[in-house]
Amino acid sequence: MRLTNHLNQLRRVLVLGIALVMMFIPMGGALTAPDDHAGPAPSVGLVCETDPNATFTLSALPGYISMADGNTIFMWSYGVGRDDFQFPGPVLCVNEGQTVTIVLHNDLPVPTSMVFPGQVGVMANGVPSAAQFDGSGKLTSLAQTVAPGGSITYSFVASRPGTFLYQSGTNPGIQVQMGLHGALVVRPALGANFAYNDPETEFDPEDEYLMMLGEIDPLLHQAIERGETFDMRNYKARYFLINGRTFPDTLAPNYASWLPTQPYGSLAHIYPYDPVTNPLPALSRYIGVGTEIYPFHPHAFNSDIIGRDGFPVKGPGGENLWEEKFSIPIGPVQTTDALWSWRDTENWSDTNPVPIDIPSDQNLTFGLFWGGTPYLGNTDTLPTGTTTFNQCGEFYHIAHNHALQQITGWGVVLIGQVTFTRIDPPLPNNCP
Amino acid sequence: MLIRRSKLTRREFLKWSSGLMAGVLASRVFRRPLAKSGEIALAASPSAPSAVPDIHLAATDGWIYLPGQVPIPGTSGQYYNPDPWAPDGLTTYMFGFRNVTGMTTQQMFSQKMHSQASAPLWWVNELQDYRLRLSNLGLQMRPDLIDEHTVHWHGFRNAWPVFDGEPHSSLAVPIGRSLDLFYKPRDPGSYMYHCHFEETEHVHMGMTGMVFVRPAQDGNPYTHNGRTFTKFAYNDGDGSTGYDREFTITLTDVWAEAHWDDAHVQLPDWTSFRADYNLMNGRVYPDTLAPNGNSETNPWAYDANGYLIPPPGRPELQWQPLSSLIEGESGERILIRLVNLSFFTHTMSTPGLKMRVVGKDATFLRSATADFTFETSHYIFGTGETADIIIQLPTVSTTTKYLLHNRDLRRLKNPGINGLGGHMTEIRVHPTGTLAPQTIPNTNPRP
Ligand SMILES: [Cu+2]
Ligand SMILES: [Cu+2]
Repeated sequence: MRLTNHLNQLRRVLVLGIALVMMFIPMGGALTAPDDHAGPAPSVGLVCETDPNATFTLSALPGYISMADGNTIFMWSYGVGRDDFQFPGPVLCVNEGQTVTIVLHNDLPVPTSMVFPGQVGVMANGVPSAAQFDGSGKLTSLAQTVAPGGSITYSFVASRPGTFLYQSGTNPGIQVQMGLHGALVVRPALGANFAYNDPETEFDPEDEYLMMLGEIDPLLHQAIERGETFDMRNYKARYFLINGRTFPDTLAPNYASWLPTQPYGSLAHIYPYDPVTNPLPALSRYIGVGTEIYPFHPHAFNSDIIGRDGFPVKGPGGENLWEEKFSIPIGPVQTTDALWSWRDTENWSDTNPVPIDIPSDQNLTFGLFWGGTPYLGNTDTLPTGTTTFNQCGEFYHIAHNHALQQITGWGVVLIGQVTFTRIDPPLPNNCP
Repeated sequence: MLIRRSKLTRREFLKWSSGLMAGVLASRVFRRPLAKSGEIALAASPSAPSAVPDIHLAATDGWIYLPGQVPIPGTSGQYYNPDPWAPDGLTTYMFGFRNVTGMTTQQMFSQKMHSQASAPLWWVNELQDYRLRLSNLGLQMRPDLIDEHTVHWHGFRNAWPVFDGEPHSSLAVPIGRSLDLFYKPRDPGSYMYHCHFEETEHVHMGMTGMVFVRPAQDGNPYTHNGRTFTKFAYNDGDGSTGYDREFTITLTDVWAEAHWDDAHVQLPDWTSFRADYNLMNGRVYPDTLAPNGNSETNPWAYDANGYLIPPPGRPELQWQPLSSLIEGESGERILIRLVNLSFFTHTMSTPGLKMRVVGKDATFLRSATADFTFETSHYIFGTGETADIIIQLPTVSTTTKYLLHNRDLRRLKNPGINGLGGHMTEIRVHPTGTLAPQTIPNTNPRP
């Protein structure tokens, strides 16, 4: 119902207008990543933390993030180096065959550890990473722990390409939900613009997206911040996030200044498929870090499911068994790689108009992203008082969790797992 | 405004106060309300769409019947379901659509507060030019709300925003106004449609239904396993998706508190969502077995007022016209088009019968190089997903009953009632000669 619109959401939407404008500041402009990152980060798309020797220093840290209803949530997460708290943890990008080394400093008040689902032969301080038991045989951790103030070094060979995650292996029910997780991308030997060692998995490197779907029970976080215990039987997720943000913050650029600890946006920004000028699909790397299967539904295109958990979806003869899905189930601690594109199948335009009569302005209401005409690349004036963020007749399509209770957050509608796809008119266009 | 709960939490207070304050401002930024209820006569103004639509849907509110009781916690003798404000024989407040194609303007306006669950079933042929008109009749129970409505064809590939129905990127229809949408579907298979305005609420309140696309191959005979078919799920080229009869099963759920809230000017916290009722085609078992409303030849027929005609002897099912009863003859093949528009993932099974899953999300599970259709005894699928499932019925000499039901036992009950309920229906296999050929999905015509 209309009454559920919310002041904070209104504020965010106004900020969003700025965000969409800022998206077009060229690389190297206002949107540079913090100093210790290799260079300016793209305003949209996957942001990689890279190192020529695949060696990373991370810290497990406490910090705060902000929800779109104005709430602030206490988190544990990973930072690059020693003091750079961010949520989720940095996206580590390595090449197939590299030996990955992660030095983890523990700046939390409790022991912690890291596990790497899908990797084999992981070493912790030089010995095989393994589940830990106390003297009575009781399981205490899924991997060797590091005490508060200490450090530990993990290493493994990135033996196969794909999308993976890393997360806490100690008291994971609490620690993973507190935010101790991040993405690991292994690039195939075939090349960084392929998802797997399969020429058919080539994607446009400008259109590579992280879609990490998670959730938060604010009462769990409050209890941990106060040093209290939390009974997981009372766990009830109230916020639902993409890449650590709630909508509409999901649309803000990577490293938006007003979200200092939540660096990763999830707006996708593409051009229509064209066999000559834009032949390659986009790649979305989905990762579930919550407690449920999220059925994720991007409007307006189907996704080829090309890999799950770092395994290409192939039959015994090497043939692709790619399902083409419009609602993609993303399970907990599951990764899904999806190729997609949008095609202009109808070629409607001013001179080839849509075959309906559009009622006059006073008989409709217009969305924030409506450009004033049905046509890609056209804009028209809207009635006085109508706000639009449309810049150059570009198209927008929503992409959201279809378990629609999970696109709300703790009593406020439309601040959950929602983002958008922006489709620009083919070049040359009038977009800023 | 009424505050239902005895103690008002801080969050709820914020929700109420800021929500009301923001309402005026946000409506300026979010969507521009240009019509108020009462302006319905303007629908026929010169600016209304002019081309003749293939289907005309009206969006409004209404009431349906769900058995059993959901008490309001902390009260005695008060219930979310049945809602005390419900008309006689009905229990549960809904939003929904009606098929008003061919109605007079007067008949159409008379459908205000007569929505149906689930939404009208419609289908389109591959590459057919298809026009859908949506008219917003307003919400009879909530004159304070000026909600727009839209139709989102969920899964339509390469959609254009103008016809996608997502109100941020597109157009929405205020009360008393109409908008035409155009589709030229290129991909056969099963889809769904729903309103996308304030989608958590409008979808859950019942603005949900099924749409599917028939393949171009239909009408051409193909022989598969010794039987010749002319109706197919996909353009298979070999008859392997051929079927004799077809049934659509749309799964939804009802959180009684949220429906009561909407009727009583309250707001739920959607993250507390729970399913009190688990519906198939807008009904719960055993009502799923009741016949279609209206008739076996036209489940969308209406009376002189434009009202739906209840199934014989079941006046309370007047606004839930679609049966889920699946009947076939010995040795026939049936196609089940499954849609999940509930808020949970479900596992449907057919004990004693094998399912062959030939399509998911309106995509034939076969590529140029691989056939990955598969057989199973259960199918798990999340909200927003569809599946096309073919079942080879056994050879029988007497009528034999099988079940199609959710494997999650929590989904097989109706609240406050002993015995089975929820997501379940029957598959009845009859000896040859019992049934007439089927021309409309979800019908079981007799000779
Ligand atoms: Cu609606
Ligand atoms: Cu949908």
